[in-house]
Parts: sequence; structure tokens; C-alpha cells
Amino acid sequence: MQGRKAQVEARPAAVHARAFAYDAKRETVLEGTVVGYTESAQIAPTGAHATVRTASGDVDVHLGPASYLEAKHFSLAPGGQVRFAGVNAVVNGKDVFLARIAQKGSQVVAIRSPRGSLLANGAARLVTEAERVQMKQQGGAR
Amino acid sequence: MNARTGSTVSRVSIVLALCAAACGGGGGNNGGPPPPPPKFTNASLSGQYAFSMSGTELCAGQGSLFARIGTFTADGHGNITKGLEDVNICTGMGILQFTGGRYSIDADGRGSLSLTNSSGTTNYSISLVSSAQGAVAETDATVTASGTFQRQNPGTFSNAAIAGGYVFDFQGVEVVGTAVDPVSIIGRFDADGAGGVVNGLYDSNIAGTLSGQQTFPAGTFYQMDTNGDGTTFGRGTANIAGRNFAFYVVDATRIKFVGTDFPSELVGEAFAQQNIAFNDSSLVGDYSFLIDGLNSSSPIATSGRFTADGVGNITNVIADENHNGAVTLLPVGTVTGATYVVDANRFGGGTLQWTDTTAGTFSFIFYLISPTQAVLQETDSGLVSDGVFTAQTATPITTASMAGDYAFVWSGVNSSGDEVDFAGQLTLDSSGGFSGLLDSNRFATTTSTQVSNALINGNLTLGGNGEGANTLNVTEVSPADTFHFTAYIVDQNRIFVVCTDTNRVLSGTLTRQP
Repeated sequence: MQGRKAQVEARPAAVHARAFAYDAKRETVLEGTVVGYTESAQIAPTGAHATVRTASGDVDVHLGPASYLEAKHFSLAPGGQVRFAGVNAVVNGKDVFLARIAQKGSQVVAIRSPRGSLLANGAARLVTEAERVQMKQQGGAR
Repeated sequence: MNARTGSTVSRVSIVLALCAAACGGGGGNNGGPPPPPPKFTNASLSGQYAFSMSGTELCAGQGSLFARIGTFTADGHGNITKGLEDVNICTGMGILQFTGGRYSIDADGRGSLSLTNSSGTTNYSISLVSSAQGAVAETDATVTASGTFQRQNPGTFSNAAIAGGYVFDFQGVEVVGTAVDPVSIIGRFDADGAGGVVNGLYDSNIAGTLSGQQTFPAGTFYQMDTNGDGTTFGRGTANIAGRNFAFYVVDATRIKFVGTDFPSELVGEAFAQQNIAFNDSSLVGDYSFLIDGLNSSSPIATSGRFTADGVGNITNVIADENHNGAVTLLPVGTVTGATYVVDANRFGGGTLQWTDTTAGTFSFIFYLISPTQAVLQETDSGLVSDGVFTAQTATPITTASMAGDYAFVWSGVNSSGDEVDFAGQLTLDSSGGFSGLLDSNRFATTTSTQVSNALINGNLTLGGNGEGANTLNVTEVSPADTFHFTAYIVDQNRIFVVCTDTNRVLSGTLTRQP
């Protein structure tokens, strides 16, 4: 194949025919009272879920890995007032609200990127250089 | 001897003792034939091996994706004598030299490995496919990961040996400003044997945003290290598809890469591409595929099979997708519009798609390594998922033909959304039953759980002629757990598996041992 100049092929645009994608254009705000919380859901999507009572009924809110929330010192318990920004999706035939931002009182935690990716996968890479130096000193075997 | 090694010895001792009792004593005094020699020993791991793995590390109290690639030299007697690795971790890039280490290989090919560098010692479970390759899972309390290793050919540690076409597949996270998004980049290039790269093409998918096919930007190159690490360890650096990498050469046909553009993280491999002008007729016959990745609800794993007719049509699409616990078994409705196109530029890239009238449209980009193998990237629904497809066997598949010993590695997340990695070995009998042993690392920011030598058993049940979706149910005795997999048989030596449990996502490969 060497010696032949590469020619770029036109690709079809992304297909969005399937559910479950995070469509930022459909983002809404959800407010209510926590009536249930589990760190380890036995239903999809895996991770932490909160059941939030809103004016229009109970909503299942997906929050990603519970370990990420713990690291951010963000906890939910029945009776707490909460506010989320995110999108509604259908997972396994059930409605679920995919939270991007979670707020409890004055505490605000970013759970997803603006494109909808869970920050739990790499938020630790966003720390400042000073924090990074401190983390290196605290780190174990690499 | 570390704790894990001790545990392994204890387990083997118990098994041997039980066997001795059941068999009424040893064969030596009765004049019977001597027992067969063990299939694997410490001598099975001997020489220089390149490894690559990715996983989750505990960082500032939270889990964070990371990658490591490198090389170690095993002396055949349980000692690691030298090595080098590149790590892309939350605190930055690092190049670490191994100053020592130990390993122990059991008769079934499973074993333990520890690698010591200036920062301390990291620990792994390994499962040998043969003396030339194996699977690896990191088993440290604050780090879990999985990957593979292959014996290196030092005769190929030169720019000149890296020549001709290569197809690559990189996966990781892209960090831009305060956004962290999953990324997949697949493509191909020609290495000129002197550090130059031409005919570079790639397709990137960042959180569902597709680049379309792009040519490599200026500045692309590859270069073996000139400080001695190149000739000693097979290490070099490269700029591929506009990203910077460190790489380790396995041989002229396979190179392992880790991205060095911290804080972004990429890891993957490049494979020598067959030197032919590809077109639609290059894709003909039956293929199995396995891809995994991330999405907004992270993560996803998909395995399946399809048939290509050589003129752009796809038939017999069967697939199992576990999208963060939402399981779709295709076909749900009717599959329509199943087609593929190999790029007119004949570099082996192409597109493939089908629509299930109920489940929706599935679309992909691929780059052919050869007519029997390709890297594959999903391009629909905001998904970032990639992997391989490979020609499916033309010989009849039966439980008897699949009987034998297999090394395996699985990776994914549990119901908490935290990473889990498994490495093990099992023996399939001619009726599809199996037993084996499993090591696992279940990550958590508070208390991760490492389990060694867990007994497993279960059954492989073929569906129809075995070319479609088969069932592999795996029961772990302690801690008690049952994994339900769909198994797609590639050939008599390899099986792709994807877990269909709704409370976790797992996928992996079983590879036959000799």
C-alpha cells in the first residue's frame, strides 16, 4: 500500500436512531424530595439511583458510580431536597433521568460532561498541578 | 513468596491431596504409568514480554481511568530480571524501570506476577494461553486493570523492522478544559522503515461526535528510542493521528501504544495490515465481533456475528448488547438495510450498518487488517465503543470440538458502576460442562475486593449449529455468584463472551491453551 496517496472517504453522519443517548438539547431541570436512594442498583443503568418525588410524580434518577459521589462528599437520604439538570431517557422500557448536575442545598456536583459522559471515568485528571504534586507524594506503587 | 502465591500453593496442595486419596494412592508403587507432566510451569514464562492494560486507579479518593504498557523479562525460574513501563495515570505520565519482581505459574497456566519499580511493587494475576502469550489482571487494592501480554522478538527492535501498513485501534478519555469524554480512534498508516509515516487515515469518535475519515496532520512519525531503551526494551515514541504515543514492539506484526498527551489517556494496539488493495470482495463469509466502550450511562459491551457476501450485503445478523445493564438481543424485530462498503481508496477502511425494526440502527466504521480480521468502531447513538471482528470458523462447531483448556480474561463494571476484572482458566468437557479457577479484583474507593483461586463451574450450551448466540453460564462457588454470558464462537481456539446480566456489564475472550 506504500506510495499511494491517501484519499479521504466521505462518512455517513452519525445515526441517532436508538434510545439511551445523552442529547444535551433535551436537557431539563428536575426538582423534588428524595424518597429513596441506592448505591448499587440491580437494574439498568448500573450505579447509584435516587427516587425523587416531584410535582408530577416519582422519578428514577441515575447518578453514576456511587464511589464518585462519595469522593465528592455528596450523599442523598430520604427527605432531602434536591435539584438536578439532565435528560430523560428510556432504559429497558423504563423512564430514567440521567443527571448531569446534582444540587443539594448549596452543594453542587457535576456528574456528567456537557456531552453526557460520566465524569467518574476521569475527573481526577482535572485537578490542578499543585494538587497533582500532592497526589504524587501520597500515591502508592505505580 | 507473597500471600497470593501461598494461597495458590495451598489450593493446589488440597486438590492434589484429594486426588491422591480418591485414586487410592500414587501410581508409582503400583507400576502404573507416571502422571503426565504439568502443562505449565515457571519455565513456561521465559523471555521478554510486552504487556498493555487499562483500568481504574484510586486517585484523590475517586476512581480514575489509567493505562500502562511496557515489557518484563522472566527468567523461567520465577524471577523478573528487568523491564520498563510507561504509565498514564491521574498524576501524569511516568517511565518506570523494573528493578525486580517474582512470578509463579501453576499447572493450569494461571499464576501470579509482581513487578517492582522505584515507586513500589504492583501485583497481577496472569493466565497463560501458551508460553508466548497470556492474559493479565492487576490485583492491587487501589488499582484494577486487565489486558494481555505477548513474547517480544528483539530482532524487530528497529525502525527498519517497522515497515508497511498498520491498522490501529486506540481507546480512552479525551480531556479538554474541564470536560472528560470517552474517545475511540481507529485507522491505518504506512510506516516507511525509516521513522516516516505516510497514507495515514483515521476516524475518531469523541463522546459520539464523529470526525469522519481524516488524514494524519503534519508531524506524524515513529522512532525507536536511541538511549538504549529501543534496542533493549523495544520502546519508541510516535505521533499517530495527531496524538503522541509511547510504544513497545511485540514484533513486526504487533505494536502496543499508550497516549502521552496527558491529561488525556489512550491505549491500544497496531497490527500489520496485509498488503493488498481492499474492496468489497475483501469482506466475504462469516464474522464474529466483540466491542466495548463507554457512553453517557457508561459502559457498553456488544458481541455478535454476521455474514458478508462480498458485494456489499450483510445477512444473518445476531448480536447481544449490554448497555449498562440494558440488554438487547438482536434480532428483536426484522433486520433491514444490512450493508457494508469498503472505501474506494482501497486502504481497507469502510462502513457497515444494519437496522433492526425494533431496536434501531447499528452503524460502524472498520479498517481491515486482512480479509479475515478488522478493527471496528460503533458510530451510532452517541456510543463510543470499539474492538475487532474476525472470520468465524468454517468447520462444524460442537461441544466435543470445543472441548479443551481455555485461558480467559473479562472486564467491566458491577452493579455499583465500579470496574471489575477477572482472569482465569477453565476446562470444557465434550458435553459442554466445565470447571476452573478464577481470580478477580472488584474495585471500590473504600474497600476493593481481591479474590484468588475461586472455584467456578458451569456449562456451554450451543444454540443451533453454534455459529450464532450460545449460552455460557458460569457459577462462582465463593463468593457465590452466577454470570450469564452469551458466547460467540470465533473458531475452535477462541470464544467471545458478553454478559447478559442486567446488574453488570462484562465482556471478554476465552482462548484455547495447547
